[in-house]
Parts: sequence; C-alpha cells; structure tokens
Amino acid sequence: MPGRDVSGTALSDQVLDFIGRDSSTESAFDAMALALFAHQFENNESFRRFCLKKGRSPRVVTSWREIPPVPISAFKTLTLSCVAPESAERVFMTSGTTGGARGRCYHPTLAVYDRSTIANFRERFMRGRDRIRMGILFPTEEEMPNSSLAHYLALAAGHFGAPDSEYLLNQKGLENDLLFRALDEAAATGEPYALLGATYSFVHAFDEMERAGKRYRLPPGSRVLDTGGFKGRSRDVATGEFYGRMETLLGVAPSECINMYGMTELSTQFYDDGNDRADAPKSGPHWIRTRIVNPLSGADVPDGEQGILVHCDLANYNSAVAIMTEDVGIACGGGFVLLGRAGDEEAQGCSVAVAEFLEAARG
Amino acid sequence: MLGGGRRIPGGGEGVAAVAELAGHLPGLPAESVARETLRFSAWGRCAEVAAPVLSGDQLTALAAHVRRSRERFLAGLRTQEIVDILDRAVRTLLDRSDPRRRRAEELLPAVTGYDPETVRLGLTACLKTFRGAQLSAFVAEDFANPQMLDGFQPLRKGGYGRAFGPALIAHVWAGNVPGLPLWSLVSGLLVKSANIGKLPSAEPLMAGWFAGAVADIEPRLADCIGIVWWKGGDEVRQQALLDQAGLVLAYGGNATLERIRARVPVATRFLPFGHKLGFGMIAAAALDADKAAGVARRAALDIVRYDQHGCYSPHVFYVERGGAASPRVFASYLGGELAALSHRFPRRALDAEEAAGLAAARQEAEIRSAVSDSVEIAGDAEGAWRVVFADDDPGLAPAGANRTVKVAALDRLDDALPEIARHAPWLQTVGVAAAPEELFRLSALLGEAGASRVCALGEMTAPEAGWHHDGRFNLLDLVRIVEIERGAEAAAEDFAAYCD
Repeated sequence: MPGRDVSGTALSDQVLDFIGRDSSTESAFDAMALALFAHQFENNESFRRFCLKKGRSPRVVTSWREIPPVPISAFKTLTLSCVAPESAERVFMTSGTTGGARGRCYHPTLAVYDRSTIANFRERFMRGRDRIRMGILFPTEEEMPNSSLAHYLALAAGHFGAPDSEYLLNQKGLENDLLFRALDEAAATGEPYALLGATYSFVHAFDEMERAGKRYRLPPGSRVLDTGGFKGRSRDVATGEFYGRMETLLGVAPSECINMYGMTELSTQFYDDGNDRADAPKSGPHWIRTRIVNPLSGADVPDGEQGILVHCDLANYNSAVAIMTEDVGIACGGGFVLLGRAGDEEAQGCSVAVAEFLEAARG
Repeated sequence: MLGGGRRIPGGGEGVAAVAELAGHLPGLPAESVARETLRFSAWGRCAEVAAPVLSGDQLTALAAHVRRSRERFLAGLRTQEIVDILDRAVRTLLDRSDPRRRRAEELLPAVTGYDPETVRLGLTACLKTFRGAQLSAFVAEDFANPQMLDGFQPLRKGGYGRAFGPALIAHVWAGNVPGLPLWSLVSGLLVKSANIGKLPSAEPLMAGWFAGAVADIEPRLADCIGIVWWKGGDEVRQQALLDQAGLVLAYGGNATLERIRARVPVATRFLPFGHKLGFGMIAAAALDADKAAGVARRAALDIVRYDQHGCYSPHVFYVERGGAASPRVFASYLGGELAALSHRFPRRALDAEEAAGLAAARQEAEIRSAVSDSVEIAGDAEGAWRVVFADDDPGLAPAGANRTVKVAALDRLDDALPEIARHAPWLQTVGVAAAPEELFRLSALLGEAGASRVCALGEMTAPEAGWHHDGRFNLLDLVRIVEIERGAEAAAEDFAAYCD
C-alpha cells in the first residue's frame, strides 16, 4: 500500500508507540492491525498461502475482524515468522502435551513482548503499587528458556518484585522448605506479599501445605496470580474450590486472586479483576481485541452466545496478528468469560475419538 | 450442566415435558427409588429424564430379585419361547403408534442430538434385527444345534453337552447411539441369564423402554432384567454390581475399560468392547462412469448415519486410481452427496466445546492444504460436512467425526494395508466396493490386518443380525458348556433299574 512503511523495525516501533497510548479507537486499531497484516502477508510465505486459501489478502481485508486468524495448531507445523527463525532473539514453545509437536512463536526482539507485558501487568496486577515482595511458583527463565510463562514471570519479578523476591520452585519441583519459610516470613513482616505461578503449582503447593498442616494469614494487601487453569476437571467445581483453598491456606480473599489468561502464541495477556465470583470475566489492554466465533464457520456468534475466542494482538507483529484459539468463551462486559476448551468433551459413541487415538498412539 | 445432553449455542428454550422415568427396577417399590434429573435439549426440544439412583442395598436387592426370577421362570424356558416373547416385544416397538415408540421418537432427538429422521430410521433398522427370525439367526450362528441351550445334546466327540448362561450378567453400556444396549441385553436373555445393565448418561432411555415392552408381553421375563444408572465414575455403585455378576460386558474407551477391568473380581469373566475406527475401500472397478455416483451416495449415508459416532462408522475412504472416475472426482461426488443429505438429515447439534474440538481436529488438514497441493478440502461454509482429499496419504486416523472424512487416493488399495495393520486394535468394520474376486482377496488381507467385518457401502452402520461383534460370538462367549462324558453315561447304565 502506498505510503505505508512495512519494514519490521519501523512497524515494531509503531506498535511500541501504540502500546504507549492511553487508549485506542476502532479506526486506529484497524489501521495498525491492517499494517501488521500486510507486513505478515508480504513477508511470510506460509501465512500468505494460508490467507490466499481463505480468499483473503490485504487488498480485500478492510477491518481487523476480517484478518484470517491462524489456528494455534498451525504454530506446530508452519514457520510463522517474518524474519529467518534463526535470527530471532527468542523462541517460545508450547508444552506439546498433545500430538507431540510443539508450537513455536518467534520474537525478533523481545522489546514489544516486554513492553506489552510490563504495561499490562502494572495496570492489572500492581494496581498503583510500585513493588511487592514476590514468591514465584515456577522455574526460572534460565531453567526454561523456551517458556513464555517463565519469561513473563521473570519480567514481573524483575520490574515489580521487591528485593527479597524469590523463586520457590525449580525444575525438579516445589521446594517445600523454601515455600514454608517464605510464607512464614511474609506473614511475620506485615508487608503485602504476592505469590505468582502456574495453577497446577498452586494445587501442588496446597497439597503440600495440607500434608504438613500449614496455614498462613498473609498480610493485608497480599495477592495471588495464577495462570494455566485446570485440565480435565469441571471448571465450575474446580475454580470455586481452588480460590476457597487460597483463602483457607493463605488467607488471601478470592477478590485478591487474579487469574491471568495467556498463550505462547500471543504477546499480550488477559486478566480478571478477582475471583470472588464464579466465571470472572477476562479483559485485555487497548492493543488486543477479541472476537467470539463459531469455530466451524468462523463467523462471529450473535451476542450472548458461546463460541471460540479469536484474538487480534497488535503485539504479535512478527508471527500472526490474529490467532484462533481452542478456548470456548462468551462475551461479557467488555471482555469474555472462559468456559472450557476443545478436548474437554467426551466421546459420544463407540467410535474412537481423536484424543483417545493420539493417547494410544503415544503409548 | 446438562447431564450428558447437548448444549446448543443459541438453542431455543423449549418447554420441558414431564420427566421420563428411566430404568427398569423390578421388585423395588417405585417410591423408594431416588431419582436424579438429567436435562437435554436439541432441535428446539427439551427432554428431562429422571434417572434412578439406587443405594448399594437396593442394587443388591435388585440383583437378588432378577436372579430369583431367572431361577423361577427364565431358566425353565425353551430358547424358542424366549425368542417368541422378544419378537412380540420388538414388534410393539416397531409399531409407530405404540406409546413407547412415540416417546422414543419424541425424546431421543433431544437426548442424543441426532435429528428426528435419523432417530426414526435408526430405531426401525435396529429393532428389525431383533425380530423372531433374526433372533433365531443369532442362535443358529453360534450353535450348530440350538437345542444345546435347552437340554443336553450329543457331542461329536461323544457324550453330551449343554450351554448354560451365567446366573447374572452385568452390562456397562456407553455412547449415545440409540439401541446399542439391546445387542448385549438380548444376547444375555437368549442364554437365559438374568441381566442388569447400567445405562449410559448419553442415552439413558432405550434399554428401559425395551424392558417395559417385554413386561407388557411377559412380566416374568421382564422380572429378569434390571436397568440402572449412576453417574459415570461412581465406583462404589459400579463395584456393587460387578461383585454380583458372573460375567461383565463393558463398552467404552480404553481408559474406562481399564478402570472396570481392574474392578472385576478375578474369577469373573470380562468382555470389553472398546472404541473402533471404521474405514472404506473403493476399487477402480466400482468407479465406472455409471456407478461412481451411487457408490459415493452409499458412502455418504455411512458417514451421515449417527455422524460417525458408531464403532462401525467410516472415517477414511481409500480410493483406487484407474477407474473412470478418479479419486478426486469421487471426493467431489462424496461432497455433493453429503451436502444433499445435510438437508434431509441435518448433523447432530454440537455444543460449543464439541464444535471447538471438531474445528481443532479439522485444522490439521486445513493447515496442510494451505502449504501443499496434494491436500484439498471441500466443505460448506457452516462446517456441516468436510471432505479432505489427499494424494498418496494412507494415514488412518479419526479427524473429528461429525461428517469429517478423508478420501485418500492410492495406486492400489493394497498400499494402505501396512498403515491399516498398524492400527489393528482399533479395527472392526470395513466397507468395500469391489468386484467379487477383489472382495475376497481384499477381505483376506483386511482380516489378516485385524479387521473383523467386511460389508457393503451403505450398510456399515447396520450390521446383520447374528454378526460377530468385534469378531467374537454374541452368545457362545457368554455361556459355559456343561458336559456329560461318555464314560459317565456308560457307568450310569450299571445303575439303571432295568439293568440286566
């Protein structure tokens, strides 16, 4: 397009500038999204072919809503990058729990990811506070260099953690003594404390605390951030139970428990504002927008209906600006409520289902 | 949450009728039975099912009751008498004016999600296999001399033999295809066993209606049938049943079957029926200009019936090159047929998670088609059906079902055999379109690879009466043969009053 600068560096600067604004209009969001789409269409062969199969190109796409979203499974098989993969500063990979292959997301530099994450974390988790002492229930970035969550937590601890912040878990697992000591100290100081990590790490920590008969009352202003969710359990039961244990074992009210929803394939995260209610809605900053679509037709569902989430993340300037998740949700108050995910459903008949077949194939 | 039912995105809120009582509990006072309501909705209809929740004591009492009823009545019936009773019961259910049949046609679409026309035709096709003549075929298939079920019959090796079913058979059913429980329940009755079956939450009605129809004809036979329910994973109740049974038949996925197997007492026989993966093979000879369209139509029917959720349903069609219609043309015919059939038989309504799962399963092929010219995808905009055409890709795997099928073009059908054999534990039904010599040649290779049923296209979802389910015997696998040895008879001669 005439006059539009599609070089990667200039674009990433534009995205950084966009993130730095206070808010965004629909038209400003569209303009940025379309510039990124044109750049990716131009500079990524796999993505271009994918778009052309869908009959979409920068010529015909006029709004962020029309950018063909790339299914997250495509990150496993296609190289979705506008730069040579080996030149990327960092590659984040999915855990590869199903199907074996791991999805890859290439970051030429981490400048955009970091700016997006830090600005959003400050707004949604720090809530006006500059620093807080943190305990991290996840391995370090050095231990897991391809984990976007490890990097995310390193950013959180580095930018917002008070000097005594520490990791309470290593690659081998939870360090009970470390955890119990950290919680004892935190409770004794009277200073607010933050515990952050993967949902399953919390579940594990709770089990250990119960086994050891430990209960804590963390000081007022303390908070918790978990992410990742529960696999293979009913969400309704699991979330209520989970935040109930936060309260009984840590003394942190569910309203101070924030759940972060992020993905390796995104460069921006979503947060809720506490879990004192079931189905707390999630929302993101002004540089990410979400559509809820019928997964089979790809069309937006009517208001108030369930569908799968399609995110248009302007911070994804190098990979794919729009991605199609496998997460089921419903629109709610400017954001969405997560309801489940593909693969949670049971086989209907006596024909083997994809998940069971893959499970058996892996042996 | 809807109990096993389908939440349809945007589905209308119909008016729920009076809850249908599920199960069949002879000997238990109705008012003593606790009920849990399962709610379903689809096709603008709602259904409420009041499923029975028995205590451990009630399960034990039910087992004692059906066992006693068997001793008093069923054990003394001749097989032909059982066939006659079942025949009359099945005929009432075949009659579309019968109240139970009307309830079935009304409720099962909401419960299973299958469209009303599929349910109606499916019920009739299934019930027809249990009429008298067909039941006799069941018996004759397994017993060269069916009188072995009624009394001692001479054996070829000498002596006499008689077949006895266990006093009580436990059935753990699964899935939402209406009528599947009837196969094992009818088999259990034919070998004169008392039966207690655990209903699947996805279709908790048909087995109870069947028992009710039997009760109208001969209550003493229905007294030998217990139909119960518990929420999947309720190991306490499950154990109460497993401990009572002389034989356990179970249906479901590998994980479910493994859990049950671990709970079955070691001396109790366990017959597991796992999930399966069907496919079709179409030889070049079946792709004549005037035949290809008909072949595609029959293949499409096999896909549409129960939306590929049956163990016999096809997920891949291997199509041989060299016929008048190329595999690619066949794939386009198949797409056309699926499009046409989607009007008369709309696909089962999917809830958001199922739709997301289906979309995810379909995406793999979609992504491959984006970067490779050897993969082509056809489907409608709404995602009601999907045909993936692939050149020289014999991969055999489910792709999400719900009318998602792969057409694989091969130079020779034999090229798929190594891949097919790799999946032996999943094999069962193969729909074949080929000339007679080729049918027999392929069948030998398919049998060697692990398949157990070769049928015509268009008949994959309707196995013949007396078929060998998973290659096994419906009745013979249930019984033990009691022998009177030749020597015993000879020795007895000495003790006869008329002995010289």
